[in-house]
Amino acid sequence: MTSEVVAEIEAQVSQLRAAGQVPPGLEDELDRCFEDVAEVSLAAVGKAMSGVSGPGADPIAGSAGPMSLAQLRKQATTAARRLLGPSFRRLERRGALGVARLGEAASIRAHVTADHLERLAARSPWASRVLSAARPGEAAMSAAGTTHPSIEGPLLAWVLERLSAAPPEEAREVPGLVLHAECGDGRVVEALAARGLDARGADPRSPVRADGDTRIVAAGALEYLGATLSGTLDGLLLTGVVDRLRPGEGRALAQLAARCLAPGGVVVLVSARPEAVVAMDPVAADLAHGRPLHPVTWCHLLARYGLSVLATFEPDPSEPDVFAVSAQRLVPAMLGGKDHA
Amino acid sequence: MRTRPVRIDQVIPSIVERDAVSHHTLEAQCVLHSMGFVSEIYACSMGPGLAGRVHPLSELPRERSERQWVCYQASIGSPAADAVASHPGLKLVDYHNISPFELIERWMPHLGGEVRLGRRQLAELAPVVALGFADSEFNRVELEEVGYRHTMVAPLMVDTANFYSPPDPRVVDRLEAARGLGGHDWLFVGQMLPHKAHHDVIKALACARKMFDPETRLHLVGRESCPAYADALRRFVSALGLTTAVEFVGSISPGELSAYYASSDVLVCCSEHEGFCVPLLEAMHHKLPVVAYGVAAVPETLLDAGIVLPSKSPVLVATAVQRLLTDHQLHDSLVSAGLRRTRSFTVEGARRAFAQAIEQVLQAASECR
Repeated sequence: MTSEVVAEIEAQVSQLRAAGQVPPGLEDELDRCFEDVAEVSLAAVGKAMSGVSGPGADPIAGSAGPMSLAQLRKQATTAARRLLGPSFRRLERRGALGVARLGEAASIRAHVTADHLERLAARSPWASRVLSAARPGEAAMSAAGTTHPSIEGPLLAWVLERLSAAPPEEAREVPGLVLHAECGDGRVVEALAARGLDARGADPRSPVRADGDTRIVAAGALEYLGATLSGTLDGLLLTGVVDRLRPGEGRALAQLAARCLAPGGVVVLVSARPEAVVAMDPVAADLAHGRPLHPVTWCHLLARYGLSVLATFEPDPSEPDVFAVSAQRLVPAMLGGKDHA
Repeated sequence: MRTRPVRIDQVIPSIVERDAVSHHTLEAQCVLHSMGFVSEIYACSMGPGLAGRVHPLSELPRERSERQWVCYQASIGSPAADAVASHPGLKLVDYHNISPFELIERWMPHLGGEVRLGRRQLAELAPVVALGFADSEFNRVELEEVGYRHTMVAPLMVDTANFYSPPDPRVVDRLEAARGLGGHDWLFVGQMLPHKAHHDVIKALACARKMFDPETRLHLVGRESCPAYADALRRFVSALGLTTAVEFVGSISPGELSAYYASSDVLVCCSEHEGFCVPLLEAMHHKLPVVAYGVAAVPETLLDAGIVLPSKSPVLVATAVQRLLTDHQLHDSLVSAGLRRTRSFTVEGARRAFAQAIEQVLQAASECR
């Protein structure tokens, strides 16, 4: 019955079109209108998420002078958008994304390479002379909007203790290298350095330090670890980033952590408990499915990539919604014989 | 040789209250208990109120035993799938569909990655799973397409609490007051996600107001799960001058939802992808006729109880709604067909189907002896 009704409705639509009762171009206009607002919304939400906003954020819009090159470019782009519609906008967006990703990857690789070279220089006076000016300048990032992981009190003491115990003291020729990924303003980095460790920090919103301290670089955890040589970190502290990973990045992060750690190296992961997030925002419990990850998921992931879970931070009255776990890349001597495996 | 299992545990990526797949999993546990099995639920993450009923995934028993089976509730990418894949017992998959990433990625890149992972894991599980059951024929065919050899349909065990909540009188009064001024009320219920295509319903509304009735209103019920998409919809409504005609209702209580079903004239669904679509069932239960774009599992859920369109051209959708609102005989026949259809989706029936799926595997396993 309904198929007959649908056929009648389709015939009615044809009649309405033939009789001119459907405004010409109405549907195309609706499609164009939605595509236009979609572009605006995607750009607006993207900007809000990257923390770039306010006057001066768009270099083209901010330029002065009648019909400057930038304005000409803008007008040409607008005309192309109108003529070519959504396909041009898609191409444009992909192009911009690709260029941004290439630039970001190159910048991070330069920073990480410089880090490795500096450590080489610390071991060798010859290398030190060669590399005297090797470190690139820090990327200028907005100081506003930098978040600081809340690691204080008993949790801070626990974290410092785990990371300080990372590599056996007698095995070190130079201070152990410890990275705090998503380090905020670097307070934990300073606390680690005060314990004699070669502490470094990476944070995508890292401000340029007024005191010239270049131990903290502007980079995301995944990007920084992706560009880090295998087996070079004695300690790794992961905070912040673990609470807002994109799907699939949990396992990528665990895999990268395992790869970057030297034998005996320790990773400490501090995260919000998912139950706390669910209680605050039920939406996060639905399609978002499991971000932040459950503590057992982190243990599963770390173990999956060959790390041995050492200890977990038990909920403290001062930090009821936080959990932490430490895991170690076992040195060959700790693995034992395999004849009965 | 296989023996009858002692326990059949379930594994689910995350479980929360008032979620369709989560409710199905809890119901499935009851069915398994009633069949005499020990059965626990293990999840990567769980919402409040489920402690004690659900265990962390790390506690999933993994003894190498033919008497321990595991059933994975698949709906998204998760480490839970890997835990099931490496489980030594016989494995079952209960598939609730995973939205295609191309419908999501532009708006929610993070979720796009998750659904990609989910589809990959679903295919990876195929060679090691004894039986894949799905809550619709559409989903069952997808299982076959990715390599599942033995599949069957076992309907979703729907939470019918929403069906029987009395309409909130305050909402009814407000909606009826607006209706008193003229015009019809369209309704769409679903999370504000891009693949639900709210924008296509708004386009159809714009056409309907231009072509048939300038007083037509639209109520969009459902939580805003994608900020960029919700923002675009608001801009779209504003650009079309429909701010007084479109209501963004958000997430509401069962009583409020009943009021919207009771005070609307038609449910319009232009969704691009549905593995089942519970709101269609709810609308039919509330005697609200449905006009829907016939894609994915929508035609299967509706059958002859709604107008299922071959395209979602805004003019076609608007004309279909107009026909429904002016043809009283068609309206009444669809309402009657909808009520008949909802009766075929009883929780008892779904429980029986799930139990039959388990019995089928038991039978096949015993024949292996």
